[in-house]
Amino acid sequence: MQNPPAPFTSALHLALDPDLFSADPIRPWAADLLRNCARAFSERDSANLQRLLWMLNELASPYGDREQRLAYAFLQALFCCATASGDRCYTTSLAVAERAISFASTRRLALKFQEAAPWTTFGHVAANGALLHALDAVPAIHIVDVSDTFCTQWPTLLEALASRADTDAPRVRLTVVASAASAGVMSEIGVRIEKFARLMGVSLEFRAVVAPASPRFADALRPEELELRDGETVAVNCVSALRRAGTGGSRDAFLRAAAALEPRVVTVVEEEANFAGVGEFAESFEECLRFYGAYFDMLEESFPATSNERLALERESFRSLVGVLACDGRGPDRVDHGERRERGRQWCRRLERCGFQTFGFSDDVVDDLKALLRRYRPGWSLLPAEGEASGMYLTWKEEPVVWSCAWKPK
Amino acid sequence: MQFQNLFNFKNAKEDPQMSATEAISKTFSHSCNPPPPPKKKRNLPGTPDPEAEVIALSPRTLLASNRFVCEICGKGFQRDQNLQLHRRGHNLPWKLRQRGSKESRKRVYVCPEPACVHHNPSRALGDLTGIKKHFCRKHGEKRWKCDKCAKKYAVLSDWKAHVKTCGSREYRCDCGTLFSRRDSFITHRAFCDALAEETARVSAAVFNNITSNMDLKPTSFINVNNGDQVIVEQQQVKQRESRGVNTNSAFNNGDLYGSCSNLQQPEGQLSWAGNSTNNHGDIFSLSTTRTVKGENVFAHGSFPSLFSSLEHNPTLGSDTSATALLQKAAQVGASTIPFLGSLFKEELGGETRDFLGVGMHPSFSGWL
Repeated sequence: MQNPPAPFTSALHLALDPDLFSADPIRPWAADLLRNCARAFSERDSANLQRLLWMLNELASPYGDREQRLAYAFLQALFCCATASGDRCYTTSLAVAERAISFASTRRLALKFQEAAPWTTFGHVAANGALLHALDAVPAIHIVDVSDTFCTQWPTLLEALASRADTDAPRVRLTVVASAASAGVMSEIGVRIEKFARLMGVSLEFRAVVAPASPRFADALRPEELELRDGETVAVNCVSALRRAGTGGSRDAFLRAAAALEPRVVTVVEEEANFAGVGEFAESFEECLRFYGAYFDMLEESFPATSNERLALERESFRSLVGVLACDGRGPDRVDHGERRERGRQWCRRLERCGFQTFGFSDDVVDDLKALLRRYRPGWSLLPAEGEASGMYLTWKEEPVVWSCAWKPK
Repeated sequence: MQFQNLFNFKNAKEDPQMSATEAISKTFSHSCNPPPPPKKKRNLPGTPDPEAEVIALSPRTLLASNRFVCEICGKGFQRDQNLQLHRRGHNLPWKLRQRGSKESRKRVYVCPEPACVHHNPSRALGDLTGIKKHFCRKHGEKRWKCDKCAKKYAVLSDWKAHVKTCGSREYRCDCGTLFSRRDSFITHRAFCDALAEETARVSAAVFNNITSNMDLKPTSFINVNNGDQVIVEQQQVKQRESRGVNTNSAFNNGDLYGSCSNLQQPEGQLSWAGNSTNNHGDIFSLSTTRTVKGENVFAHGSFPSLFSSLEHNPTLGSDTSATALLQKAAQVGASTIPFLGSLFKEELGGETRDFLGVGMHPSFSGWL
């Protein structure tokens, strides 16, 4: 791949479908082109790969429509695959993003996303519903929040606790186990949520802890780390947390550590995709197309055209896609990116293996979720899990994208 | 009270013994018609006439909705009067009770639930429909649910009333933003700068040892940061509009992929695999020279320390119960802050506690 590629003369040259370049703007073209790129990559067909990436480069744009943005995302990732630079690229991108984090920008992004789509609020409502149900009439609660939601889940829970008609609000301790990147803004967030709780009339004690790097992620749940006290009931809330707990055995270790806390309830929210498999490149690629395709489509339809927030979210997924496709977790530069999501049924198997049993969402929670979806644009729906999986899926245009479930120790 | 004082003062010279009512009628009789008869006094809810007969109905009786059933068609009615009128349609003998049939003794009703405040005869309710609704509302099963917000009600009429207004209500935050959704409003409110300002303002007034500068500092910190963001955003939009979509400066975070729009340009700049790492490095290091706007002002540490000194003050009522706080707020501010009605329970009563525990009554222009 030393010389510039030969000029592109015809679609037939690349054995591509000529219809691919029809003028019809609505026809989705990115997926097919990307599949061709993936095939060229896995077949080590350098000449073809060069030409295809060149063409992709011409068509892609981070400011264009959904197809162009999706193409752009995969272009970055494929480029990193081709140049074996995934780990370095991911690390640099993360460092740059971390430098730009501020309380105001984080808050704006989180809240605007919640306004535009139920992607995150689905998990919040489901988890809060399960927490309220399981922690009814408990006077002292300790919530261990393993997530990077920046506490946006908690105001509605605090309000619900404060306005429960029958009893006074319980005393609440909130320990947030956040990633290193979010640690900077957690102090400000803590101040504000404590103040808010005070005004609501709920006694809240806040503490933020930085999660150790992934092989030792389970250490975050050690009782002495969390400073557990007698008389308090523990609840563990994991939002996109399990996928950050390393791979394979480390994930089970994390879950066992959670079980060891003897929690009343463990709520889990994860994005629905299988990026943990070590199978064929083509399979992972297809799964990426499905998930990120739905994500970009959802973003396009949920945000206004010139939204900065949409751009920020897409930028995060450019990085995450590089992590999934171009970082193989080996080599000296390997980075623990925590992007290796698993599907709901896979998590269910793990949780059961690690000493948990599921308990379903009550009818009230399901009604709350339905009411939630009604507050957004059409395209969203609920899908109760069946068969091997339990819990509830959020679907975008019939495609399951987020999964949530509640568990308790056996 | 004021009125009384006024007239006492006015008439003091003429007749110090004259009562307010007499004074009023005296004044009025000069100019217009005789004063209207004094209004019939209405008892406060749950404070019954001591002469009244106390009735204790069973839960089954209170919850039964259609006790009076027509023997012909089986149609149920809430009141005997309505059944009698219905019986006329079947040409059955009917008898309407006169209004005076209750004149023997006024009846008041107690709630059968032992833990309830209205279980005690001294707090009985005077109206049969009232006690039925109370029992159902407070102690009954909530069978009616709002479609939009999933709020549950035991009494059908309560549910109907709610459904009429649900979704049409707007919530306004102190910062000026308007919300149609309650959950977004709550989440916004929890992290809103206006919340931080509110406490800063109140606390500054309470504590003498904070210098007068501090009054301005917290708000200016917040506004500076916010203001920066707003201005930057506006600039971004303008730039994008004037120069078209493909512009690097659209991103204000010096982020990796923001600068990678270079890849749009002629192929010379795209470095292929096997090229020197320098080229590769170049593209990805462009970002480091970019200034990062919206820097975390709070990282400087002075803002958190302001609040940490306040956090330690024990008089900031962290042990006030939710119920007491909500009651207090309802009594003071519910009429001026419409949305608060949704947060408060229906029946208020009981002791109020000072919000800050320092004998101050903060202005409720803020939220709670």
